[in-house]
Amino acid sequence: MPEDTLNSTMIVGSNIRPAPTLRVDNIRVAYGNTPIIDALSLDIKSGALTAIIGPNGCGKSTLLKAMARVLPVQSGHVLLNATPIHDMPTREVAKTMALLPQGPVAPEGLRVKELVAQGRFPHRSLIRQWSRDDAEAVARAMAATDIQAFADRPIDALSGGQRQRVWIAMVLAQNTPVLFLDEPTTFLDLKVQVDLMTLLRRVAHEDGRTLVVVMHELNVASAFADQLVMMRGGAVIAQGAVNDVFTQDNLLSVFDLSARVLMDPESGRPVCIPQVSP
Amino acid sequence: MTGMRAGVFLFAIPGLAFVFAWHIAVGAKVIPLRTVVEALVAYDETLFDHVVIRDLRVPRALIGAAAGAGLAVAGALMQGVTRNPLADPGLLGLLAGASFLVVLGSFAGLSAPSAIPALAAVGALGAAALVWGIASAVPGGATPMTLVLAGAAVTAFLAALTAIMLLLDETSFDSLRVWLTGTLAGTRGATEIWAVAWLALGLTVALSASRQVTALAMGDDAATGLGVNVQKLRLAILLSVVALTASAVALVGPMGFVGLVVPHIVRLTVGHDYRLIVPGAALGGAIFMLLADIAARMLLAPVEISTGLITALVGAPFFVWLVRARL
Amino acid sequence: MTEKVWQRLDGALTFSLPLCALGMLIALSALLFGVTLIALMSGSFPMSAGDALRSMAGHPPSDMAATVVWEFRLPRALAAAMAGALLAGSGAVLQTVTRNALADPSLVGVSQGAGLAVVTLLVLYPGTPTALRPVLAFFGALAVAALIQTIAARRSNGATMRFILTGIGVAAFLGAVTQAMLTYGDLNRAMSALAWLAGSIHAVNWGDVQILAITFVLIVPALIWAARPLEALRMGSEIATGLGAAVTRDRALLITLSVALAASAVAIVGPLGFVGLIAPHLARRLARSGPGVHLALSLVTGAVLVSAADLIGRTVFAPVQLPAGLVTAVIGAPVFAWLLLTRRGN
Repeated sequence: MPEDTLNSTMIVGSNIRPAPTLRVDNIRVAYGNTPIIDALSLDIKSGALTAIIGPNGCGKSTLLKAMARVLPVQSGHVLLNATPIHDMPTREVAKTMALLPQGPVAPEGLRVKELVAQGRFPHRSLIRQWSRDDAEAVARAMAATDIQAFADRPIDALSGGQRQRVWIAMVLAQNTPVLFLDEPTTFLDLKVQVDLMTLLRRVAHEDGRTLVVVMHELNVASAFADQLVMMRGGAVIAQGAVNDVFTQDNLLSVFDLSARVLMDPESGRPVCIPQVSP
Repeated sequence: MTGMRAGVFLFAIPGLAFVFAWHIAVGAKVIPLRTVVEALVAYDETLFDHVVIRDLRVPRALIGAAAGAGLAVAGALMQGVTRNPLADPGLLGLLAGASFLVVLGSFAGLSAPSAIPALAAVGALGAAALVWGIASAVPGGATPMTLVLAGAAVTAFLAALTAIMLLLDETSFDSLRVWLTGTLAGTRGATEIWAVAWLALGLTVALSASRQVTALAMGDDAATGLGVNVQKLRLAILLSVVALTASAVALVGPMGFVGLVVPHIVRLTVGHDYRLIVPGAALGGAIFMLLADIAARMLLAPVEISTGLITALVGAPFFVWLVRARL
Repeated sequence: MTEKVWQRLDGALTFSLPLCALGMLIALSALLFGVTLIALMSGSFPMSAGDALRSMAGHPPSDMAATVVWEFRLPRALAAAMAGALLAGSGAVLQTVTRNALADPSLVGVSQGAGLAVVTLLVLYPGTPTALRPVLAFFGALAVAALIQTIAARRSNGATMRFILTGIGVAAFLGAVTQAMLTYGDLNRAMSALAWLAGSIHAVNWGDVQILAITFVLIVPALIWAARPLEALRMGSEIATGLGAAVTRDRALLITLSVALAASAVAIVGPLGFVGLIAPHLARRLARSGPGVHLALSLVTGAVLVSAADLIGRTVFAPVQLPAGLVTAVIGAPVFAWLLLTRRGN
């Protein structure tokens, strides 16, 4: 998406409440009797883009789903403005946080506009089936993600990158101060990844929303995130500002990766170059 | 390793012999095992019991064993080729297709002994193609669930057509109806010989292809990498499955769940090598069918219920357990 | 290209309904009326449309006409339409909740549970009044559905797939038990049970119609409620939770609703295969809409299907009467295959 078609007035969010505080307090998440995460605590910075990275199986998706209350926690709390979300009515939670899971599948034949409209679900009800607010939220979300051109096309007919923009439009239409995205850029071309992350960063900074994104691609994470959380074996190994966390030592201890970390002089962001043995 | 697992056959073969003898001993009148053995080795045509054994019970046992073997091997092959633990000639519509075409043939006057297994084969093939086609056309493709659902739909369709044919011609109501539930109590004739010929064909193809079927379990691409011509193998297996199913239906009518249950039990004992599974399923299927027939005759004695009901009463809960344990 | 809608965007009550779907709803209702009228006219005592309408209005041209319309054809037509609607609604809900296009309520043990209950009654206690039959069938079906839910329930992942597959297994088991019961029982009683098992509308009386009508009245609010959870659940359980739907609770309620709808129909007219399978697909092919309007379209489509099937079964091989269940299976399957294979057309 060309830089100049995106300006702050087109991004969703004229009626947003002040970004709530999001805190994970000593949670334990298990599948049956197998614990994936134990005694994990985390503070998510409001109005910023936080990326959670880690090797396969480190529990980052599990953490995200627990934060989004899709997974139950066996002990501890996830607190939204000091209220445990697992105790709140799920519809209220849905007006405050939105989730885009990994590899989402839409019902067959669904059109783009219909999928984006789905994001308005928590704001609608039996007697308020489709209001002006809903129509405007959908229009803004579609403009922000630049998908108006294929509003009436079926989703199955789109490319991977276009489809992902539609899904992001859906969570944007939900108009929540907090957004969770689970591997939104996996399997996409680098150019498409950059475009999507640019959009997400704008949503965080210009709307003041809290975004938590689970990612695989280290350098894309380091280029766009404000805060970084590194996980391994179900625990948080390092967290904080990107430049503080994205270090050679951390890459080695979290990923077993020998890499040099260089600073990009233009952006001021760290980049890792894996060491290749001759 | 394979040697140890093959050792199971040392128990299975005498086991089959025992069940075979037991099957002959059981019936409206229980004949002592000693007499059974005597009838087989020192036949005396003046003894009524010996005549009953030779003319009624031995054929019935042989037919049961043959049909059971055929269905079990067919099921094992289907499970291997579709990589679906729920595959079975009944569940995927082949039995319904076979019996439908046989009934249709009987109304069209095609009831020659050679025609019955042939009709069953064409019917089974058609139904299998239909089920596969429907399951593949659905979003998500031919997963175990879609295959079973498509199989249920096709079976319901063919069963309805069969029921309509029976309604339109009341004279054939009773005999065909009983046959349609799956039974070893049918009339004897040259059909059996033709059916056994088809069975032999199916088993031969199955045995010769068994090594390659094992390779298929890892996926089409991996199997191709190992030198398997996947398309040709699939076709050969299809031929074998259809021939085996047709022979079983010609012998005993549509007998469900044998092809589902037996391969799983066999796999538990001999492992995943199809060179062992195919003969193992043949033996296991024969034993299973004979045991089911014994139960069918003894459970509500003197009333004899159809063996197909027993295989369903055993097989359906097994299927439910499989779904719970494996999926 | 935006679709024409009838919408009201401001105020306490807001909505947006696609005009195409609404128009189709009206057209289908007209078609249902047409099929019903033909059903009233046809049979061993043929009547003109005028005579049939006059008989319905209370001015029959003859006593014979009045009897034929009011004792036989009208209750039968009403029962067919309502049973069709209930089955179609059941299928629409089940397919959306399970996210599987092949889900059919008649496959998941509901019909077999009802069937076994009725056959057991007929064979073991032939003296019980016919009015008790639907009640028993209904509870038989619900019991089976509860059993299936219990067996199939474990983790939330894949629960619906296990539900369907478990249902097929339980259905096969119950079918075998029913067959065994028929073999064991007296031949005459077995025959009447067999007729009902094939799915037949010919034996319905006004009592049955009343029961169906009451079921309808009770179920309509449930269907109105169902539209929203269906909308969320069709996206998958994780997205549905993210959107604020109470997934575990709603899925259980919706599956129960689907079973109740099917059981109500099966209890009166026996199992009618394929209606629950193809009516929702046909409805979607006729007009695009959200799950709520689609539910309404499915209901009317199902009513038309079963009414037509009963009419065909009654007349095509006269005087032999084909049970509607056989007709729906024979026509339904090819229609379904055609729907599947022509899907990629857009």
